Amino acid sequence: MSTIDQVEKKKERKLVLTWAVTFLIVFPLLIILGLFMRLNQGRVVELDYTQFYAFMTMHGLGMAGVLFSIAFAGLWYLISTRITKLNLGVGYFVYVLVLLGFLGLAYGTMIGNFAAGWYMLYPLPFKGASWAVSSTQISSVSLIVMGVAWLVGILHLLYALAKRYGGFFNLLGWQYLRKGEHEKLPALVLVATIALVPGIFAFLVGAVMLIMFLLQSFEPTLSFDPLLLKNMTFFFGHMLVNITLYCGVGWVYGLLPEFTKREWKVDKVVVYSWNATFFFIIFAYLHHLYMDFAQPTSVQYLGQIFSYGSAIPATAVTMFGVIAQVYHSKMKWTIFPLTVLFGMMGWAIGGFAAIVDTTIAFNTGLHNTLWVPAHFHTYMLMGIVLFIFGFLFYLFSGEEGIHQENKLGKVGFWLFVVGAYGFLTMFYLSGINGVPRRFADYQGIEAGQVKEIGAQLARYAAMFIYVVLLGLLVMYWSLFTKLLKRKEASA
Amino acid sequence: MSSITILMTLQNLAGILTLAGATIVVAVVIFVLLSASEEEDKDTAKHKVYAVRTKYFAILTLVLVAGLIISLRLVPYPRAGSVADETVTIVGVQWFWRMGNGEMTTGPVEFVGSNEVTVPSQKNIKFVVTSADVNHGFGIYDSKGSLLTQTQAMPQYKNLLYYKFDNPGEYYVVCMEYCGQTHSYMVGKIHVQ
Repeated sequence: MSTIDQVEKKKERKLVLTWAVTFLIVFPLLIILGLFMRLNQGRVVELDYTQFYAFMTMHGLGMAGVLFSIAFAGLWYLISTRITKLNLGVGYFVYVLVLLGFLGLAYGTMIGNFAAGWYMLYPLPFKGASWAVSSTQISSVSLIVMGVAWLVGILHLLYALAKRYGGFFNLLGWQYLRKGEHEKLPALVLVATIALVPGIFAFLVGAVMLIMFLLQSFEPTLSFDPLLLKNMTFFFGHMLVNITLYCGVGWVYGLLPEFTKREWKVDKVVVYSWNATFFFIIFAYLHHLYMDFAQPTSVQYLGQIFSYGSAIPATAVTMFGVIAQVYHSKMKWTIFPLTVLFGMMGWAIGGFAAIVDTTIAFNTGLHNTLWVPAHFHTYMLMGIVLFIFGFLFYLFSGEEGIHQENKLGKVGFWLFVVGAYGFLTMFYLSGINGVPRRFADYQGIEAGQVKEIGAQLARYAAMFIYVVLLGLLVMYWSLFTKLLKRKEASA
Repeated sequence: MSSITILMTLQNLAGILTLAGATIVVAVVIFVLLSASEEEDKDTAKHKVYAVRTKYFAILTLVLVAGLIISLRLVPYPRAGSVADETVTIVGVQWFWRMGNGEMTTGPVEFVGSNEVTVPSQKNIKFVVTSADVNHGFGIYDSKGSLLTQTQAMPQYKNLLYYKFDNPGEYYVVCMEYCGQTHSYMVGKIHVQ
């Protein structure tokens, strides 16, 4: 077994701090793009269409990328400082490549006006595009670069873990299903594996798809099957967002016991549950294609069955696991456990709204309305982002400092939560009222009062985004104060 | 905001269900927040929580299975032997709709149609939906602004959507899939007589 000395831990800390600072710079900038979108939909500002959809593309792709990056970086840090040594060079390689990819994407969208939306639904980038072919090429190459970086990072991490625990299947906890003695598997490792293995499939499929895009961009006479490409798009996209959340859940399994003083053991139930989750992660994407009636109906049914199924392990094992950790534990609600509990709450509420939307009968009336961003913003903004801030407070405050009261951090946290739920409520109300998503404005809709309701709710949403930004500002203040104090103390 | 519809539509039912679910989640979170202040032996606490979990697991499984059995009967897909009283061709084109009564006899690119179409009420209408270029979404709204049904308009594929308009009046077609620059103005009209 390899030991991890203090020097290595310090180096890994430097790497994760680099990721963290990058995240803290990029995240509010991407929120501001979203703010402009809502202001435009509310007719407060006027963007031209190209600008609006380029903002939308960058907001979506950028957020998916930056959230997965920090979620992955967090897992990398926890595993490299607690479980097994990881190659720091590979860590920086991933960082540099992702950063380059991100900058390329920012160039392709914000300067090159690439505006095909985050899922650039084939053949949209090649027909009626308002941007140059080179912008599609730059954006596609940038995404491939990011995907390759993550793929390398995931493969290295899983290889190191498999080596440490004597084989890949031990990472899935299968030794718990056999009789006899075996080494304990930390829950963090099991969850990380289940979260990251689907990532390998996702990035491979995503890369193949983007290479097909590139081929067509160089050879316009080529064309591909739009239904196949649609399946590939959502296989990649849905899984990326899904595993981002599960990476964050990995931190919860790894860190919450430090606060409750209760070990979070892997047992048979946890193993069955997370192995089932693996399949739910792989196949749940099918619900994105419910309104493609050309997809075989039996596959549509499977989409709903897998989507419903994912609720069982998520709630009965992980969320009840959190309750079992906290219940009568005499734990103080400092900033970290608070972000975990409210992150779970966002996951549960967003998940509930998702279950409603993954019911085919409901999807007929909700598909591509603002209900969809409502539910995924709930489990991203009020789920994974809260886990991220919990992790950042943990990181910036240090293993001792995090147990102390952080009033300023909590003020920021509450502002952020209140602002976010206000913002989300406007999305849900818009979805209920049939306001479609991905509309630069609603002025063309003559049906009922959709146009007025959509614009008004967008203006209210923008006001709540200001509260979200204020909450972020206060949390940033608290985070950097903690970091500086820690630096002074260590100096 | 008084204009927000309060009628029981599919969307309102989704909203009510989600609100109920969110209320239960918030109640559990408050309970957990308060419960942490007490102290109990770890195994006893765990035993209590897991006893509740067993019941929860059984109830959740039952609810999900019941939900599947009920909801999968209500899917919008064409059934074998579906009979149409009238057929309407719908072709999405960046950024307008070509719609016309009857089956399409040309390819989608050559199809000539208009942004408006007239159909009878109380009849089973078969919409044959496709696209001449990129993916679009064929969404039908009523005059109150409720999204009634939809299907994707995809190039190279024909999606069949059967729908019966109960009442005569004006219905609106809105593009439900992002299709480029002026996507938000890709609208049409269905006159139901």
